[in-house]
Amino acid sequence: MTGGRVRIAIRDLEKTFVEGSREVAAVTGVSLDILAGEFVALVGPSGCGKSTILNMIGALVPPSGGRVLVDGAPVVDRAPREVGYVFQKDTVFPWRTVAANVALGLEYRGVPAPERAARVREAIALAGLQGFEEAFPATLSGGMRQRVALLRSLVVDPEILLMDEPFGALDTHTKLTLHAELLALWEAKHQTVVFVTHDLSEAITLADRVVVMTRRPGRVKRVYDIRLPRPRDVIRLRETEEYARQYSEIWHALGDEFARSDMGQLIGEPQPKARRADT
Amino acid sequence: MTSDRARVLAWQIAILVAIVAAWEFLTGIKAISKTPGLYWIDPFFISRPSQIVQRFLHLASPSVRLSIWAMAWSTVQSTLWGFLVGITTGFVAGLVLGRSQRLALICSPFIVAFNSLPRIALVPLITMIFGFGLLAKIVLAWSIVFFIVFFNTFQGARSVDADLIHSARFLGASEGQIMRSVIIPSTLAWTFASLTPSISFALIGVVVGEFIGGESGGGLGYLIIQSLGTLNAADMMVALVVLGIIGIVMALGIRQVEARLLRWRPEYQRR
Repeated sequence: MTGGRVRIAIRDLEKTFVEGSREVAAVTGVSLDILAGEFVALVGPSGCGKSTILNMIGALVPPSGGRVLVDGAPVVDRAPREVGYVFQKDTVFPWRTVAANVALGLEYRGVPAPERAARVREAIALAGLQGFEEAFPATLSGGMRQRVALLRSLVVDPEILLMDEPFGALDTHTKLTLHAELLALWEAKHQTVVFVTHDLSEAITLADRVVVMTRRPGRVKRVYDIRLPRPRDVIRLRETEEYARQYSEIWHALGDEFARSDMGQLIGEPQPKARRADT
Repeated sequence: MTSDRARVLAWQIAILVAIVAAWEFLTGIKAISKTPGLYWIDPFFISRPSQIVQRFLHLASPSVRLSIWAMAWSTVQSTLWGFLVGITTGFVAGLVLGRSQRLALICSPFIVAFNSLPRIALVPLITMIFGFGLLAKIVLAWSIVFFIVFFNTFQGARSVDADLIHSARFLGASEGQIMRSVIIPSTLAWTFASLTPSISFALIGVVVGEFIGGESGGGLGYLIIQSLGTLNAADMMVALVVLGIIGIVMALGIRQVEARLLRWRPEYQRR
């Protein structure tokens, strides 16, 4: 499924945050090639810098060292146009209806109104959101809102999709439904996806490759190829032997990191304080 | 549900009628005293409903030079102007300063200083500058409304969710589009919350302006001060009742506008 062309190249990426008078290394020496049309999942214990890497790819956070190249061009200040981003947090605009939210990207890009309406209608039908076009987000469930956010990112046809734990706040059932929907949408277009999660089963279900990160400061511990056939059935998949085998293999590596990061806290190794909004 | 509401309404009407009736009745009882014309509760100070109605009909008739309608209209007009100009300027200033850290830092002592000043102390100065007409009252109302709206908008503009801005940017928004589609709508929610206090403060500003504005400014505040000069409690009560009605109608109107503009908010969602 991959053309073998490198879409996103991450080279010796570093990120250091200043917390008070101390510098805390969040990411050190991460290098990774992500191919065109590939679905890559980053997993690791919380605080391992996986979201930070995603933010650096998306130019939301400047790297302290190293760089990110998209199609060979370094990413600075602003992500290239073909990059879409789905946040963990609910970023649906509450003052816009579902249809108006989905239409946002097309509006920004100056797509004329009739075409916009047609594309929005099509997208909404695809995601099974008919009947909710004129509903405001406040009336929707968390799962529906995240579905709108996903749709909104996809309607402008991004070739690269960065997803930061987009389903992290959802219950298992809703999560599975959205996994199936995401995979169906991805099968149709084969966007290049970088998906951050701490849920290993989610990573294996969705991805071609799973990148396991170490605890903070985050490095790439190992990259696993997921050789599960596509298209995948998100429910049946979990009953297969191959899934179980891969899960336990990666879980072993990941479990080490979870344990070590917990140990670090127990021993009293300096941990970065939770950042709070200044008042 | 409906019978419940009807019952509440019935109680409210009953209480109102009881108060008016008691007022009328109690101010009619003569005190037992050797001095004639003494009352238990003297209508000289608080008038009587029957007198108030009489005075109202008189003031509403075309025979008087400055009718109650003309005065009410003058008050309403000035209030609405002060309100509109206040929210527009307050919104723009709040938005600009809210989005520019530096400008906010530079302007903050001036804003705090001016806002700490009791606005009533400015009335004579404003009257000197803007004369005894409508304009002085509008300026006074503006000077109060502006700050209410400004502080709300400022807070709103500062607390726009950064992730909403980022997500707009990823969808291809230019800086101008971000302003129009994210920052302004998100800020407006805060601005709208200041509309209800703004309209009542605009009315206060106008009435205070009318107290010293003289006849050329007209208005219900003028009627109140006139009545004080002639010790006419009935006229004063007429002005108060009309002012009360104006205040209620305006507040209800604003609430309608607010519910319409903020219909996306959970608290305004009809299920």
